[in-house]
Order: sequence, then C-alpha cells, then structure tokens
Amino acid sequence: MIAGKTWREVRWMALAYLLILELLCIPVLLLWPEIYGDLQRSTLMRSLNIDFLKRIGEGVSDKREQVAYLNWCAVMLFFRSTNLVGTAAAVLLGTGLFAREREAQTFEFLLARPVSRSHVLWAKFWPCALCVTLPIFLVNASAIYWSRCIDLDLPAWELFLGSVHAASFVLLFLSLTTWISVVCRVQAHVAAWVGALAIVQIGVYLTQRIRPYSLFRLADFDWYGPILSGNTTAAQMFDPVHGPGFTTYVLAAAAVCYGLAWRALRRAEP
Amino acid sequence: MSAAAILVTDLGKAFGPRQVLRGVDLRVARGELLGLVGPNGAGKSTLLRTLLGLTAPTRGRVDVLGHDPARDSLAIRRRVSYLPGETGVYLQMTGAQFLRFAAGFYPRQQAGLQARLLDGFQLPLQQRVRSYSAGMKQKLALVAVLCPDVDLYLLDEPDRALDASVRFFLRDVLLTLKRAGKTIVLSSHHLGEVETLADRLEFLLDGVFVPSERLTHARAQLRQRPRVRLHRGAALPPGAREVQREPDGTLVIETDADPMAWLRSVPDGTVDSAEIGIPRLEDLYQLLLQHDRRDGGVG
Repeated sequence: MIAGKTWREVRWMALAYLLILELLCIPVLLLWPEIYGDLQRSTLMRSLNIDFLKRIGEGVSDKREQVAYLNWCAVMLFFRSTNLVGTAAAVLLGTGLFAREREAQTFEFLLARPVSRSHVLWAKFWPCALCVTLPIFLVNASAIYWSRCIDLDLPAWELFLGSVHAASFVLLFLSLTTWISVVCRVQAHVAAWVGALAIVQIGVYLTQRIRPYSLFRLADFDWYGPILSGNTTAAQMFDPVHGPGFTTYVLAAAAVCYGLAWRALRRAEP
Repeated sequence: MSAAAILVTDLGKAFGPRQVLRGVDLRVARGELLGLVGPNGAGKSTLLRTLLGLTAPTRGRVDVLGHDPARDSLAIRRRVSYLPGETGVYLQMTGAQFLRFAAGFYPRQQAGLQARLLDGFQLPLQQRVRSYSAGMKQKLALVAVLCPDVDLYLLDEPDRALDASVRFFLRDVLLTLKRAGKTIVLSSHHLGEVETLADRLEFLLDGVFVPSERLTHARAQLRQRPRVRLHRGAALPPGAREVQREPDGTLVIETDADPMAWLRSVPDGTVDSAEIGIPRLEDLYQLLLQHDRRDGGVG
C-alpha cells in the first residue's frame, strides 16, 4: 500500500528525470564527430593546470578516436549527467519522503498503521530508489544506439558496470536524503541541509589539495574512464581487498545512511 | 492474557523538563467505552499515543490487549484503530482513494458500518481531499478509522470540526460499535456529550486523573453556579453573586439557595435566559485549578 502510494507520488518526477537524462545524452553523443575535430585542433584542454581537468582533456582528445569517445562518455554520461542530475533527482525525491508527511500531519497516521517501521521505510524507499536508478540504465543503454548513428561502438558490459557504479552513487544520496528527511520536520530544511552538503562537496572536489575528501571523488572521471575502457573489471569494482572496490564503498555508505534512517524512524515520535 | 483491554500503572511521560503525564493509573475493561476529558495540554493525546506505542513512556507500565506497547507495538496496532488528534488525510488523493489506502492495512472491514457512515456523512468521494472542508476531512478520517474490524478504537477528539447533528450521528455509531463488544477510548472537549455516551469518564488535568470524588464535588459546586443573561439594564437580583462575566455579557453566578428556587423568585423581565445544571468543561477546569491553587497540588 505504502509503496504503491509512493510510486504514484514520484512517477511523474521519475519520467521527467528520465527525459532530462536522455536529452542531455543525445546531443553530446551525436555532436561527437564535430567536438572531436575541435578537440584535435585545440590545445586548451591539455594546457589546463587543474590536474583532473588536464586528465579529462588528455582523455577526450586521445589520438585514437574510440578511446577518446569512451572517455567522452565517461565524462558526459556519468560524471556530468548522472552525478549531477541523478543526485538532484535523488535529493528532490528524498526530501519529502518523511518530512512532507510531518508537514501534512499524516506522519502520525502512517506510524499508527499496523505495519512495522522498517516496512514503512522500505516501502517508501524502494520506489524512489527504482525511480532514480532505472533511468540511468535505460539512458545508458540508449547511448549504444545513438553511438551507432555516428559509427562508433560503446561496449555494453562496461557501460552496464559504469551504470551500476553511477546508480550506487545516486542511491547514496537518496539514502542520505531519506535519513535527513526522517530527522527533520520541515521539507525545506531537508533540502537546505542536503543542498548545502552537496555544494560543500563540490567545493571540496574543485579544491585540489582536499579533493580526496570529496564524496564526488567516489564517482568521477578517474573511476568511470577505467570502467568504460575495460581497465577496471567488475571484480575490482566490488573487491575492496584486491581491487579498488570503490562501488562497495559507495554501497556501504548508502547502507549506513539507510541504517541511520531506520534508526531515526524507529525512535521517531509523532 | 489480561482481562482488561487497557491496564496502565504509574505512567509517566516527560518531554525534556516538561512532565506531560505524571503517574497515570487506568484500567479499561473489554467492551467498555471510556471518555477522556481535559483541557488542551492535559496529556490526553500523549496518553493515547503511549497506548499505541507511538510514544515511549518515561516510566510506568502499560498493557494493551495483553501486549506491552514498548516491546510489541505492532501486535497492538494490528488490533487497534487510532484516530490522531491532527486529521491525517492525504490531500492529493480522492476520498475514495484514501479510504482504499487506509482499509488496505487491515484484513477485515465492517462493510455495513462503512455504508452507514458514508450514507450519514455524504462525502464527495470522487473529489480530491484537498477540496474538502475541515469537517469533511474529519468525517473521512472517521470512516477510515471506524470501519476496520478491530478490538479497540482509540479516538483523539473524534468530534472535532463536526457540527451538532453529525456529532449526534457519530454518537449512535459509537454506541453500535460498543454494542458489538468493541472497546473504545475517546477524548473530547464536549463534556456533556461524552458523558451521555461513555460508560465512564476520566478527567485528565496536568498529566494526572482527577479523583472521581473530587470531580463529583466540583461538578456539584458548578451546578450551584447558573449562567444567566440579564435583561438590558437590569441588575442582578438579591440572593446571588457574580462569579464571572463572559465577553458576551453572560454572567456566571453563585446563589445562596437552590438555583432553581432563586430563578423562580426573580422578578419577571430581569433574566432573559438561564442555564442550570450543565457544567462546561472550561468551568470545571477553572474550578479544579482554583482548588489546586488552594490545596497546593493536583490529585
């Protein structure tokens, strides 16, 4: 019942998010031949002093067009579109999950239903999780078709792995937002807290000396590039002992935030 | 299993330094209809929430239908239907969608009662709840709460925002539930109406129940205090003293003799209207507070 209600509330936002992701995807892929030509002629990207921008510049202007295209997709599909739009969608969907119930004075009604609080949390969380992750897979699958329109290939498996990591990162933000939504009584306060956190994290990411401490470091070009080029395998993504295991870290952080949300909801009083 | 539907012993609840419940003892038998009355902030809603396990008590012991709400709240909620003090209805749903949503949590519904409530309330179920008035929202919430076939109904101000005729209809519905063997605990501000409906009345004041003998004494005292409206320009006839003057000009008076005898003795054209023997909740509250100040504590 609660999951169905949540789905009805978020379905249009999920559709809008899917369309935005797709609209961001199509032109950057179809315009690639012109962009690649410009990149070959320009030395701007290689002359940048900021290290991660320099790496991106070198990656997307590689002499081998297929390699350059994979790097372009890593930057545009994942680092730009999924990270930013996906995070925004997760925050938008997550802020109201519980704070809106409090504002509408339906929180007590919900807690009084004969279902456990863990069920309430899960039934509200998973439709949102589906809404923010499924479009990532759909849009990236469509990228394979758009790439064929410009006579280039995108490897399906590597694209899927990249999508898994991107979806994990977006889930992290959704569970973080859900936790804050349980704790805060006003939806605007949830948005302010998560928004402020995201802005600070972006600021940290753009500051070279402290970049390793940014959440966005967990899902940037340095991870997506090797995944798409096949240099990071699925095992390495998930194995924190023998591989980098960064996807496991992201999923673990998401699980911790979900656990905190559950703990807060268990203790919540109307 | 406990013979009582509700058994509360020395229940205390504090929000920070503020003590909301201070040693409440309560026993409600199965099939009983208990009325909880008390002024705003007396702790009625907190008590009902504690019974359901929505709020954890600071001290004391609670047993509802044989379960401890602190440890087995879910088992209680499966057998209890609860109307919160704040009308909790989803504005974006239609009335029909909300009722379907609310009914989906319980395995059995009382179809006959639902038909009777919907017929009595005349709600526009195909319209969104957003367009409902406060009274309509309360009626919708009542249908959602009263229709599940459960053992215990906890109703926090079910008559809020309802006009007199609907309150009368609701009273009949609650009596039907009671006759069907259901246990009902309801809180209200309408002392007179709860009194006619409930098997027993408990008056909650500052987090404790007022002992029944004290309540009886206070009510007897209030019966000696008629409310009268004097004719324009008329003075209060001898044999009575003004206790309080209300903003609309109504006087609360205290008579030396029986109020009815005093009223019969006043000259024609002096008193326009009089109300005798119907204590109001706020008067009772004020009087009990006066007693408290005089005696130095509640209970």
